[in-house]
Amino acid sequence: MSLLPPFDRAAVIGMLAAFGDRDPSAVDEEIGSLELTWLVTEVEQRYGITVELPEDALDAVWTVDDAVRVLGALLPAAAAPAEGR
Amino acid sequence: MDDLLLAGPDTDDCLRFGTPTDRGTLRRLVAERQLRLRAAGLTPDGTAALSMGPSLEFVVTLLAGWREGAQVALLDHRLSAAETAAALDRLAPQVLVEDGPTPPGAALRGYVEAPVVVTGRPGGRPAAGEHRLIQLSSGSTGPSKVIARTGADLAAELDRYARMPDFPRRGGRVVLLSSMVHVLGLVGGLLHALHAGAELVLPDRLTGDGILDAVRAGERPTTVIGVPFHAQLLTAIAQPPPTPSLVRMIVAGELVRPAVPQAFRERYGVPLGTMYGMTELGVIATDLDGTAHPALTPAHGHELIVRDGELHIRRPDNPYLGTVAADRWSDGWLHTRDAAEIDPDTGRVVVLGRRDSQVSVGGLKVDLNEVEQTLREVPGVTECVLVFDNGAIRAYAELDATTSPQEARGRLAARIAGYKVPRTLRALPRLPRTNTGKLLRSAEALRAAGEQMAPSA
Repeated sequence: MSLLPPFDRAAVIGMLAAFGDRDPSAVDEEIGSLELTWLVTEVEQRYGITVELPEDALDAVWTVDDAVRVLGALLPAAAAPAEGR
Repeated sequence: MDDLLLAGPDTDDCLRFGTPTDRGTLRRLVAERQLRLRAAGLTPDGTAALSMGPSLEFVVTLLAGWREGAQVALLDHRLSAAETAAALDRLAPQVLVEDGPTPPGAALRGYVEAPVVVTGRPGGRPAAGEHRLIQLSSGSTGPSKVIARTGADLAAELDRYARMPDFPRRGGRVVLLSSMVHVLGLVGGLLHALHAGAELVLPDRLTGDGILDAVRAGERPTTVIGVPFHAQLLTAIAQPPPTPSLVRMIVAGELVRPAVPQAFRERYGVPLGTMYGMTELGVIATDLDGTAHPALTPAHGHELIVRDGELHIRRPDNPYLGTVAADRWSDGWLHTRDAAEIDPDTGRVVVLGRRDSQVSVGGLKVDLNEVEQTLREVPGVTECVLVFDNGAIRAYAELDATTSPQEARGRLAARIAGYKVPRTLRALPRLPRTNTGKLLRSAEALRAAGEQMAPSA
């Protein structure tokens, strides 16, 4: 069993909610550039990886679902989002 | 200028964009760039515009322009093509310097590595006066204001920084996270580091880990200069690695969330200082040891007063090129448009926030009226309102039947810099209005109206 928390929508919204100490319900579906930087930092901390992506790949992250897909693909299989999750 | 910014031993490392650059090399690169600018048509007392990301090339070009005696205009490289073209039309520089094409790079890089492209612009005008630095600021109405500063004015600001014992000194390091084309990163970061003899370091990556890596890469006393977002980012790292060289972080550009200074100190064991400044004047007031937060002590030589709740600062000359509205500058006083209170006993100032439509997104200034006007001109948009709500710019718009919110937002994004684009654009059949028919600008009312409608773009 992996100790890594699963990387799914709830995890992303939880990390974004920590930005500005917001309630998860106050997190937008759309992600701004500061939030994206925040999210990358959180992912690197929690999952112990370095997020290395081409600029255009990160530029394509506009929503929580985009983040789950693009960042999730970089994570170890134990934490990555399951197909269709 | 040589004495102020370029003096020092040849072997002194003064800049680090990935690899170190010593002063001898910097002087040589600057001299070479002067020849290139001249060849492109820069005349004595000429004009150059730089549209470049943070890079060694940017520093070299800026110093070369000044060494030629030119007036150098700094354009944010994130501006859209249309915004840059409008700025160039207005400024009519003799030479334009831009970043050349680069292979697709890694995301969140702290600096740019690109070849430089120097283009002569026939018909460009020489400088009209003594001003050496030109910056554009978003205006609440109409086109951008052109803010101009003389060499003497910049030297006076460097003197202000030099008088601050808590600012980086010779032998120290500065890890710069703020934009180098905006005043606090430019003068407080780049120019002060060159002037004081501290090494200026740009992190490879602008993530929490990337910033800490840059701090940990050197043993000399290290000061991090950024915007409040960066302090928040570093404070959120639960177990940062040891940072024995870190002596302080200094942030500016927007208000700091109340809990952050103490949380930062607990996390890193060093102060989070704050500064307040404006493009027109540079640094105005500071609290570098974080003990007076949110109060700030005026920097050397500044005279501050509050009139009708608005902070005014003594500035004998008009800081703008061309005519200026009397509600911006009058009778030797700059009207900051910031609400503030001054403690009559200590002289300290507390800045409370903007009194106009300017907001700050990660330290970058955005004028909501300007963006709103641009959105109103987008095909398919019949009326719109922008508000700053829950940390983001949000647009609410009436659209014609053939335009989706995604299309409207996309058309807007093509016209303005990315950081100005509203996070959300919600279409409403009718925007809420007051009894007298004025558009309602209450974030709560707009949010409530939007929540009843379809998903946003």
